Amino acid sequence: MTEAAKSTPRKPLPRPAPESLPYWEAAKHHRLEIPHCDDCGGHWFPPSRSCPHCLSANVGFKPVSGRGKVFSFVIYDRVYHPAFEAEVPYVVALVELDEGPRLISNIVDIAPDKVRCDMRVSVVFDDVAEGVSVPKFKPA
Amino acid sequence: MIEPSRELRDACAIVGIGNSRLGKVPGVSSLDLVVEAMRNALDDAGLKAGDVDGILCRGPDEIYSHHQEVGERLGINAGFSTTVTNGGASQILSVALAVMAIRHGLATTVLCGYGRDAWSRTHATEEARVRNETRPPSQLPREFGPEYGYYSAAATHAFGATRHMHLYGTTKEHFGRIAVDFREHALRNPQAQMKTPLTMEEYHAQRSIVRPFGLYDCSLRSDAAGAVIVTSRERAKDLKQPPVLIKGFGTHNNTRGWFADDNMVVTAAKKSGERAYAMAGLGPKDVDTAQIYDCFTYMVLTQLEDYGFCKKGEGGDFVASGALRMGGALPTNTSGGQLSEAHAEGVLQLVEGARQMRHTYPASRQVKDAEIALVSGHGGNQVCHSTLILGRAR
Repeated sequence: MTEAAKSTPRKPLPRPAPESLPYWEAAKHHRLEIPHCDDCGGHWFPPSRSCPHCLSANVGFKPVSGRGKVFSFVIYDRVYHPAFEAEVPYVVALVELDEGPRLISNIVDIAPDKVRCDMRVSVVFDDVAEGVSVPKFKPA
Repeated sequence: MIEPSRELRDACAIVGIGNSRLGKVPGVSSLDLVVEAMRNALDDAGLKAGDVDGILCRGPDEIYSHHQEVGERLGINAGFSTTVTNGGASQILSVALAVMAIRHGLATTVLCGYGRDAWSRTHATEEARVRNETRPPSQLPREFGPEYGYYSAAATHAFGATRHMHLYGTTKEHFGRIAVDFREHALRNPQAQMKTPLTMEEYHAQRSIVRPFGLYDCSLRSDAAGAVIVTSRERAKDLKQPPVLIKGFGTHNNTRGWFADDNMVVTAAKKSGERAYAMAGLGPKDVDTAQIYDCFTYMVLTQLEDYGFCKKGEGGDFVASGALRMGGALPTNTSGGQLSEAHAEGVLQLVEGARQMRHTYPASRQVKDAEIALVSGHGGNQVCHSTLILGRAR
């Protein structure tokens, strides 16, 4: 490891709640899977152990299309965490999946100034550490 | 629509008002600050601690049963006492709970207040300054945020600002108008943290925090506290100060979340305000001054719409008209607000709204002929809201 690599702090890794573990396990295999209700067919996010649409506990995780749109977004110019110093400016977006739920992510492969609300995006996976992959989105 | 109880209208009054030192008060804890504000409110009311039998406050989140520690320092045993944890909506919620407790015989005289040491806490070390985080580490997100570099309440509110700009053509110039007007108000307030004028040129040249927000879109980090004393209208008659009537209040909580539905653009202020107006028997046209929870410039603009001072989407034109200035159609955040006076999660908006109803300010700070003040509280993961309508007693 070079001196520079040693001195660059690592980005925070997700520290999953127990109910989120299947989401991160699927992401590790580059699959986007979110909670799904076997009774009413509803999806939601973030994960929880009963369906917020019908309160059924008959729930699990199901793959989704990975397509959606940018509901809204912000652009970071200021460094809040030293590991993101090389990233600024970067985009954090609220992505609305075609299945309905909204989730926080980054928009990549586009200049931050070009990102717009309601633009179409699709999921990509960023292997950030051994056994950890983070879903991000790029213009579709 | 819920029909609020009209028997609560004008049932109670604010009879004591106080604040602590504001701004940078090193070496003083948030608990010390709220006790300082409460002592000042007692002095203002001409009451002794023994006259108080209720304590309602929001605490720093890491203090367990904060109201007990307040009572211990003030030497008060309370018939009705608790800590409220709806963030910036807690201060008006405390007043609402006080009115209900007094009306139902659980207490006669209730101290409500809040204090925070956010400046000291975020300037204790260089690392604390960079992180600019007021919450204890145990409350910070562990997933669905930090791995994406998603930090700060500024970003969360900035999502709403981006969406509003997209839907309605709202501009940075509109947000700037709010920052510039509130700074002008702060210059009239000798206690305000910010002491120098802010021009629109300086606003546009500001450094970025998280776009679309820059430095002047964000409220201050302050050591600050405020407090009010609530009692029945009957009891208020015998006290030192002219009472400020509590004409109505309402709450609403979009507990499904800030990111759900259209909550970041049509906030919980809408239903909270409708309930407060209904209790008071008043509407937006009756309001002479507004003290709006201004954690960020955008939140002022969207709440002005939600409260019906203009239509949804027309907040930009409304603020550009000069409505918010002293002498404007709706003088707003007349102390300078959290953007320029000091930020204590809405309690200073409550203090300012009540003081405007006393008409004891010098002419430069007094909203002329003001009879009705509206105060808003917003917080609790951005979706808890409270509204208070105050009136000048005759």
